[in-house]
Amino acid sequence: MTAPLLSLRDLRTEYRTDRGTVQAVRGVDLTLYRGEILGLVGESGSGKSVTCMSILKLLKRGGHITSGSADYDGTDLLRLSEGQLSRVRGDKIGVVFQDPMSALNPTMTVGRQVEEVLLQHRKISKKDARARAIELFKLVRIPSAETRIDNYPHEFSGGMRQRVMIAIALACDPDLLIADEPTTALDVTIQRQILALLKELRDRLGMAIILVTHDLGVIAETADRVMVLYGGQIMEEARVADLFEAPQHPYTRGLLAAIPDPRQSGGALTPVPGSPPDMRNPPSGCPFAPRCPKAMAICLTPPDLYGAGDALHLRPAQRTRCWLADPAVPAELMEAT
Amino acid sequence: MTRAALTPEMWQPLAANPTALAEGSSPQATRGFWAGVRSRLFRHRSAMAGLVFIIFLVLAAIFGPMVSPYSYFEQNLELSNLPPAYRAYTVDADTEVFVNRSNLSLYRVDDQGGLSALLRPDSRDMINRQSTWQIGDKAVVLDYGQRPPVLTINGEVAQSGGLSINARNPFGTDQLGRDVLVRQMYGARISLLVAAAAVLTNFVIGVIYGGISGLLGGRVDAVMMRFVEIVATIPLTLYVILMMVVLQSGLLSVVLAIGTVYWVDMARVVRGQILTLKGQDYVAAARTMGASTSRILFKHLLPNAFGPILVTLTMLIPSAIFIESFMSFIGLGVTPPQASWGTLTSEAVETLRAYPYQLLFPAVAISLTMLAFNFLGDGLRDALDPRLSS
Amino acid sequence: MNSASRMPLAWLAQRVLMMLVTLLAVITLTFALMHAVPGGPFVSEKMLAPEIEAALNAKFGLDQPVWRQYLSYLWGVVQFDLGPSFKYPGVSVNSMIAEGLAVTAQTGLLAIICVVALGVPMGIVAALNRGRWPDTLAMFVASLGIAVPSYVIATVSLYVFALRLGWTPAFGLDDWRGYILPVFALSGFWMSFVARLTRSSLLETMGQDYIMTARAKGLPAHTVMLRHGLRNSMIPVVTVLGPVVANLLTGSFVIEQIFALPGIGRHFVLSITNRDYTAIMGITIFYAAFLMLMILIVDLLYLWLDPRISYGDRK
Repeated sequence: MTAPLLSLRDLRTEYRTDRGTVQAVRGVDLTLYRGEILGLVGESGSGKSVTCMSILKLLKRGGHITSGSADYDGTDLLRLSEGQLSRVRGDKIGVVFQDPMSALNPTMTVGRQVEEVLLQHRKISKKDARARAIELFKLVRIPSAETRIDNYPHEFSGGMRQRVMIAIALACDPDLLIADEPTTALDVTIQRQILALLKELRDRLGMAIILVTHDLGVIAETADRVMVLYGGQIMEEARVADLFEAPQHPYTRGLLAAIPDPRQSGGALTPVPGSPPDMRNPPSGCPFAPRCPKAMAICLTPPDLYGAGDALHLRPAQRTRCWLADPAVPAELMEAT
Repeated sequence: MTRAALTPEMWQPLAANPTALAEGSSPQATRGFWAGVRSRLFRHRSAMAGLVFIIFLVLAAIFGPMVSPYSYFEQNLELSNLPPAYRAYTVDADTEVFVNRSNLSLYRVDDQGGLSALLRPDSRDMINRQSTWQIGDKAVVLDYGQRPPVLTINGEVAQSGGLSINARNPFGTDQLGRDVLVRQMYGARISLLVAAAAVLTNFVIGVIYGGISGLLGGRVDAVMMRFVEIVATIPLTLYVILMMVVLQSGLLSVVLAIGTVYWVDMARVVRGQILTLKGQDYVAAARTMGASTSRILFKHLLPNAFGPILVTLTMLIPSAIFIESFMSFIGLGVTPPQASWGTLTSEAVETLRAYPYQLLFPAVAISLTMLAFNFLGDGLRDALDPRLSS
Repeated sequence: MNSASRMPLAWLAQRVLMMLVTLLAVITLTFALMHAVPGGPFVSEKMLAPEIEAALNAKFGLDQPVWRQYLSYLWGVVQFDLGPSFKYPGVSVNSMIAEGLAVTAQTGLLAIICVVALGVPMGIVAALNRGRWPDTLAMFVASLGIAVPSYVIATVSLYVFALRLGWTPAFGLDDWRGYILPVFALSGFWMSFVARLTRSSLLETMGQDYIMTARAKGLPAHTVMLRHGLRNSMIPVVTVLGPVVANLLTGSFVIEQIFALPGIGRHFVLSITNRDYTAIMGITIFYAAFLMLMILIVDLLYLWLDPRISYGDRK
């Protein structure tokens, strides 16, 4: 296999607030290959967004990365200075945010917001930047790009704004696109269009995508590989088909059970009973234990992230953080998979 | 990774151990909204300092003039322009005097350390610019031909003692010999009275006006808000001044003028709140259950709009206090002999060259009061905004 | 929804119409107020002989029915004629305003420049150093500036800098130092207000999603701040500029009195103490018209700053 584009090791990110320190990410490992779409899925507060924003240190006020490394093309992004990082941001790695309503500057034409990235990272004239911006608008299928480029964000619909965001993110031909819930704020038909666009752009341009979502339907439709996060940790990681066919972690199963048809987008995750843990004071054992239908005494001790070598029923590239995948699990608890 | 040996009982189901499960995973305890506001407000240090000062001020305004041996209007021209602290000269064993170099008078220091008696000179030499007092066997001469005037006792230049407080009038006296302390406290009374009256009238008018406008909506709302817009184009101070031209100067007129004009902000805030809240489900629910408009207004909407109203009111207080003192300063407010911080300041300005310290008390009093109300208002706004605490 | 509807012509016409209505309301109101004064304008004079009073009344048209007085006054205003002064024979209200305008406009303009040129940077410095000493210091000074009334700032600074230290003249505008204290006292409150507003607005703006987008584009921190943060955070600051002008006007009443500046504010306060009713009326109307013009300018500025607002189709 080729060398990974990005490999994140033992990432830990905290948020300091006046009500205590929130341990948002607690030791996440992530490997991403070129051209791959990796889905990060979880409830709000699971640490999925913080994980991917930590890669570029795009943290809100109070956020700190306390440990870990993010090896990207041979450099550890987490060790770069803010100035060095700004040469990576927008150039080698593009970002698409959740809410296209608020992620675009309301007082600047969309064209300028695209040209701005180009002028920052490429030595080109304003005229060429504008031409490239129009080209990008066409790429993301914004109709009548030549005139729309001089409009302000409020003159676009939500779906069109998200296309503008994608145009900004792709302006410098990045190798990696981080898409943080790119379709959550959009209605269902628009969601599908945007996802189809992302997938198509990946096929044409060949960049890797980290797709953050709370919607397993989006994962099923778009991603190649998926990581399920809960309580700031990886609960399960698998190829998409494997996850839907043979989910290992009780949490993943709960998520899947909550969707009548996992191929149907728009399924909500809330039906898993209970509420997510308070990350200022996370449970000492498995974070899901308090809500887990199969919780055992041993679950108060943190489980490892087991790989295919540990348990026979795990598929290649599948990993799960559950005591039930421990080689020592009593036979009667083993389930047919 | 080393780990403890796994024993069979560790694989037992954990359903019956709620305490172990609850550990660390309890969702945030929900407190009552107002309890949260109160605790946030109590933790706001500057707001609390402001509150303490306001309580102190209210007590001083109510009880101060009652306790004081002087009244705000009682004049004593013999004891005018006395300082709050002075340096005395010892003439003999039982006589100490204070020289007011600005009006060239001599005062006897009484047993308590107060300046209580003017000593009239026994002779005045206008040509040599000297006044002479015969105290006991000593001749006390004030030579005001020199600048500053020099006091000699039996021909020797007198040395003054240390600084002592004027026990009779701890804040000194003004140019008519009135006690500055009691006038200050009376000024506080006026300011707080104006503030209270302004708050009351604006609350009533503003809430009713804004409530009706927001609740009825449509054409009525449009007309009512147009009117507010027209009123708000002109600075409220200008209206108050015009009102004062028509009304006779005096405390009642000030209250009336402020009361008839300052409700505009309140009306806007209330209307805005009502419009926001009106769209919410519980109001629609009340409507479908057949609640009347006034019932919706008083039972459902206003209690929820209370926070912003409260903040507007606290912010209104300093502006009412300011406008009263401003009007009084330019001579359109309360009438003499009534004392307001504005008139006290303008009186102090008249004597600024001779007695600059007279400016200190009203200036500090009004500034501290404004600061206290502003701090309290800021704290209240912060405490009422749940976004800031998350 | 296209940019053509942002052409504010229809909006401008509507605004001007609205201004005229407001101005008419102000004229009517001041006229009514001045005529509601108990006893009539010449009452405070020492007992006038009846024939003199009648002559005076005839001179000022006071023997006419009120509605005719109102109409003829209105006709005068339309022709930019605010009538004669009641107290100073041969002096027109127009000439009183013309005489004071230069002084008031100069100090007022300098005060506005101070408000913007000092208040905004103060707020930016505070926001950039949030929670550190420059923030604490700036906000402490701003709290004082908001709390201490302008007339207190004026009198105290007059005493300290003019009388005690002798750095500035105590009155008049004969050299540039004469402007320092009046402008400082006039602008103190709004400078502080704008500093606080800038700080909170900038902090709020810097927490917006599009700031994160700008960072994600790889823009340097100062570009993010200046290009994306500052402009958007100035929108609420611009909205207060209207009230700033209004309050600088009323502030000038007391500042011009304290520093003995021959501006319109001083004329106004003098007219009030003199009960010069035509002057009070005329100056009030002048103020109202001036203010509305200023608010219109601020609105146009706002339109330019915030493209989301289309004045063409107001709801």
